[in-house]
Amino acid sequence: MKILVADDSRVMRQIVIRTLRQAGYDDHDIVEAEDGRDALDKVSSESPDLVLSDWNMPNMTGLECLQALRSAGSAVPFGFVTSEGSPEMREKAANAGALFLIAKPFNEDTFKDALDGVIA
Amino acid sequence: MSPYQEEWLFSPDTGERRRRTDAVPATSQLIDEATVRGIADESWFALIGEDEHLVPVPEPLPAEVVSSWVRVSGPWNGTVVLTVGRGTATELTRALLKQHAPEVLEPEDVEDALGELANVVGGNVKGVLPAPSLLGLPQVGEAPRPADPADVVRLEVLWRGQPLAISVQGATRALVH
Repeated sequence: MKILVADDSRVMRQIVIRTLRQAGYDDHDIVEAEDGRDALDKVSSESPDLVLSDWNMPNMTGLECLQALRSAGSAVPFGFVTSEGSPEMREKAANAGALFLIAKPFNEDTFKDALDGVIA
Repeated sequence: MSPYQEEWLFSPDTGERRRRTDAVPATSQLIDEATVRGIADESWFALIGEDEHLVPVPEPLPAEVVSSWVRVSGPWNGTVVLTVGRGTATELTRALLKQHAPEVLEPEDVEDALGELANVVGGNVKGVLPAPSLLGLPQVGEAPRPADPADVVRLEVLWRGQPLAISVQGATRALVH
């Protein structure tokens, strides 16, 4: 399985990847994207099986990336990993087609709760 | 919900209410130091490590500091600012990266790490403040000054014996008509 991790913070991408491994998802290929535009391009070029994306990023937000993907007919499973976990953000994410929203700060249990059933 | 939010939502829209709410409420009416501390504790526990504690002992910051901050725009306007000494900023970056930290950290690694800490704390602070609001991208450098020095909720703690400050500071003067 290939997982695309999109975050404009390189440090946070490393933390997300580390937490994936701590949660037991350690035998998957990881691809990184540095903003929503890069993520959109890499969904085309890398064909990931899952996208884990920050919300607030320069150039293109995670939400804009998800909306662009769905408009283009892509059904790639998509979840947010973001510092904002309010009910309004969760509703916006769900309405745009996201499977889940993991709020920062998170730990491996948060990842397991969100990803069990999504990652085989 | 804070008393201010309850009043804003449920009291009748008289001219009196509107005149009073044109002047944005003080930050301390919307969030208190204990709430900021809870957010900071949770962020450090999850991101830095389970054995990492923020000790509520205020000590002066060193002369050479660096700050990171995020802006919140909405019914409350202002910034959430994290300020530490330069050495502490480097140590925080190593703690975040853990075994992936390079031997020599680049300045952009430290800016990235410090900005992300402000983003996580600020995003959670935003969740406590009146909605709807927008969170800006993290910035790093010399912190913006509060519009009113009294309109600040400030948490001062020690991390690994070094001082660290988190300020939730309003930009009320810009909004008062």
